[in-house]
Amino acid sequence: MSIITSLSAIGLAALIHASFQLSVSMLTLLSGHAIGKKRAHHRLMRLTTSFLIGATLMSLLLVTFFAYFISAAFGTIDSSWPWVVACSLMLFVAVLVWVVYYRRKTGTQLWIPRVMADFLNKRVKSTKDSSEAFSLGVTSVIAELIFLAAPLFVSGLIISQLDPGWQLAGIALYTLLSVSSLALVWAIIGGGHSLSRIQKWRESNKYFLQFAAGTGLIILAAFTYANFVIGVF
Amino acid sequence: MSHKTYVKKSGKRESEPFDRKKLHDSIVSTCLSTRSPMGVAQATASSVCEAVIIWLEPRTEVTTLDLRKKAAEQLAKQHPEAAYLYEQHKITI
Repeated sequence: MSIITSLSAIGLAALIHASFQLSVSMLTLLSGHAIGKKRAHHRLMRLTTSFLIGATLMSLLLVTFFAYFISAAFGTIDSSWPWVVACSLMLFVAVLVWVVYYRRKTGTQLWIPRVMADFLNKRVKSTKDSSEAFSLGVTSVIAELIFLAAPLFVSGLIISQLDPGWQLAGIALYTLLSVSSLALVWAIIGGGHSLSRIQKWRESNKYFLQFAAGTGLIILAAFTYANFVIGVF
Repeated sequence: MSHKTYVKKSGKRESEPFDRKKLHDSIVSTCLSTRSPMGVAQATASSVCEAVIIWLEPRTEVTTLDLRKKAAEQLAKQHPEAAYLYEQHKITI
């Protein structure tokens, strides 16, 4: 397993993580409420930055946890079954993403139960300070763990097999790429662009994002199987 | 308005009388979130509220969903961008 191969797989897993949309939805709503309440631009940026930091920190903690847990549980992986488990998990989540990730309704309604969506809506609306926004960022990542488990698990497996220096590089790469979509929305909002344009883009491309995330998982599962189970590369 | 129209909430929550201020504030907030000036937001909200009140006149009870739909319909005539965000409020997550 070369470093380039490992980092490429981690990068793809992180991009799949970035394509999941709960954090982006919550950030869009948070910004809408903050601008709607005529909050000063620096306060809007403080809230959105805290949200971004919360989501980034949680992604960092999760990928580190998965890598540590796998490393402690398996050590150096000689058998192929952990990779087979990772591939199966990715295939399962890919089908799940294709079938249930977005509701077949207008808007960008996600799979999460409506009671929970209402609760998150209310929490976002009543968020006034940075610590609340930070915890919302953390929550947005935890709430999608059912889908994030697949890219996190395979990244953890790959990272656990790297040298310590490269493990840090893998963790950093995963964290940065996994929050790239959120950081992009944060930058667009910070630049004073219209929220409705962001939301319209998200709404009109939601099925593409859903298809891309599912297909990305299948490609990653095939790559992992070929590379780590059969040993083609 | 000569009589009270009750707004039926979703779930088991009790109906409550229509509150013009509540509707006005939500429209102002939505217009502001499109970065419209405060004056434009206030004027748009007042105009939408007037139209909604006329629509409510013959009705004794409406649902929050009906109310939002009607308000969005009126808002779309004056501020399509705000109307889009107003409709998206509950369907973004």
